[in-house]
Amino acid sequence: MGVIVGPRVIDAGLSLQLAWVSPVPVAAGYPSPAQDYFDGRIDLNEHLIKDITSTFVVRVTGDSMERAGISDGDELIVNRALEPKDGCVVIAVLDGELTVKRLRITATGVVLQAENPKYPDIKVPALSELTIWGVATRCLHHV
Amino acid sequence: MTRPAIMRQMPEIAHVDVNCFYASAERAFDPSLEGKPLIVLSNNDGCAVTRSPEAKALGIGVGEPWFKLAPRAKEWGLIAKSSNYELYGDISARVMELLGRYSAWLEVYSIDEAFLGVKGTPDHLLELGRTIKAAAARNVGVPVCVGIARTKTLAKLANQWAKHNPAFNGVCRWDSVPPEQQEALMARLSVIEVWGVATRITKRLNAMGIHSILDLKRADPVRIRERFSVVMMRTVLELQGTPCIPMEEARVGRDQLIFSRSFSTPITAARDVRQVLSVYAQMASGRLAKHNLQAKVLTAFAGTSSFNAQETSFPSVCVPLPMPTADPVILTKAAHALLPAIVDGTRYARAGIMVTDLRPSGNQKPLEPFENPHEERHIGPLLEDITRRYGRGSIGLGHAGIRGGPDWTMKRDMRSPRYTTHWDELPLVKAA
Repeated sequence: MGVIVGPRVIDAGLSLQLAWVSPVPVAAGYPSPAQDYFDGRIDLNEHLIKDITSTFVVRVTGDSMERAGISDGDELIVNRALEPKDGCVVIAVLDGELTVKRLRITATGVVLQAENPKYPDIKVPALSELTIWGVATRCLHHV
Repeated sequence: MTRPAIMRQMPEIAHVDVNCFYASAERAFDPSLEGKPLIVLSNNDGCAVTRSPEAKALGIGVGEPWFKLAPRAKEWGLIAKSSNYELYGDISARVMELLGRYSAWLEVYSIDEAFLGVKGTPDHLLELGRTIKAAAARNVGVPVCVGIARTKTLAKLANQWAKHNPAFNGVCRWDSVPPEQQEALMARLSVIEVWGVATRITKRLNAMGIHSILDLKRADPVRIRERFSVVMMRTVLELQGTPCIPMEEARVGRDQLIFSRSFSTPITAARDVRQVLSVYAQMASGRLAKHNLQAKVLTAFAGTSSFNAQETSFPSVCVPLPMPTADPVILTKAAHALLPAIVDGTRYARAGIMVTDLRPSGNQKPLEPFENPHEERHIGPLLEDITRRYGRGSIGLGHAGIRGGPDWTMKRDMRSPRYTTHWDELPLVKAA
């Protein structure tokens, strides 16, 4: 159920709410002179998500993207609205499965690369023969 | 001063809906379901409510019980999913947000369809339809069809046409189709295909010699009003191209919040209405608190279907609250003021509450005797906190807390992950 405010539907009921990070230690006692300069904490949503409507979070299984800093169990922030370009980390549909690869678009064709020498490249004749599910913009790496 | 050409265009209405919505939402996150017969089951895994085209091709009817299909599912390669309301709710909200970008005039009609007010030359409108279709597929991942016409009824019909005739590529503007083709379509389709014409009425129309949509379009509106109702007359006029069913975009302004839903099956017991009102009152409380607002007035309402001319009942009660408040206890009590007006046995198709006269909370401290005892004890924030942690329906006041009854406890054995609302159920992507 949506509630319309003017033209927009608010409360998707599912905003990807992340933690707020406080930049300022909280002082007890008399009011801090810094108070006047405080206009809200930094918001991870604002930083990580440009278009909430088309942004999804997925979880990685496997080690084929290790050299791109993407490990087994990491979460990726994926924006479906972005145009897949050469060099992007993309989520592609391969054999009915969502698969994360580095997209290479060259004069000779399209290649889906792993970032781990253990895994071979996958060559595709043209971008149109490939279903790109979305473009990864951030990796939430577990340290 | 001459106005730009676009201002001189008559406004039209675009009807957008997601094809096989539940099945499409499932496929958006599980591409292996693509091209396979897929059904989504009703509450408690009862029967098929959504069928992919492949499932329809197997001859599976809507409402077919799962226990009958299950034994043959393997042989057919049929995949069944339990309803995943968390996922469908999220995908629906995303689609509606997206549609809001294309028109300031949006009416969310149901979970998977909306009307948009649009203006422009015929070419602009067709282009807009195609843009919307492409954006829904790309940004959200679901297929939609778009019907554009001068009236809502024709926009719905145009959409249906766009769905069934591949030549349209999913976008049909009624007036861009030659009149003889429009008439041929209307002559082919039974009146039951028209938005708002029920089976029961169909029989009576047939008895008057009205069988096809074209027959209905050519009927005398006055005679139809005499024999049926003003509702049916509007349908006739809309088929003729005269807008009669207005856009309801003004349903919610910035100074009010509405929580309301149409029920897929009407509810007939006061007990159920009570539960619905409790749930919405508490949702309103949560929303108000989140936005630091308090309401001064609560309106509770229920209604029979607007297409049900035999039974019309729209009880509504407006309750001035004792003080500006977001308190769930007070709001729930106020919503229950509607209950004396609810008649057991009436088929209510809709119920809801609206809070109005909203103001920022806490800028005026009430005098001691008017202080609200519940607010003092922070019941609202506590409920919200528990809901956030343990899910909607984990706690509630009065009847909203009882997850009993047919609608609220569900068997969902074949539910896919709640991909977009739960951290531990995210879609998995293979790095291999």
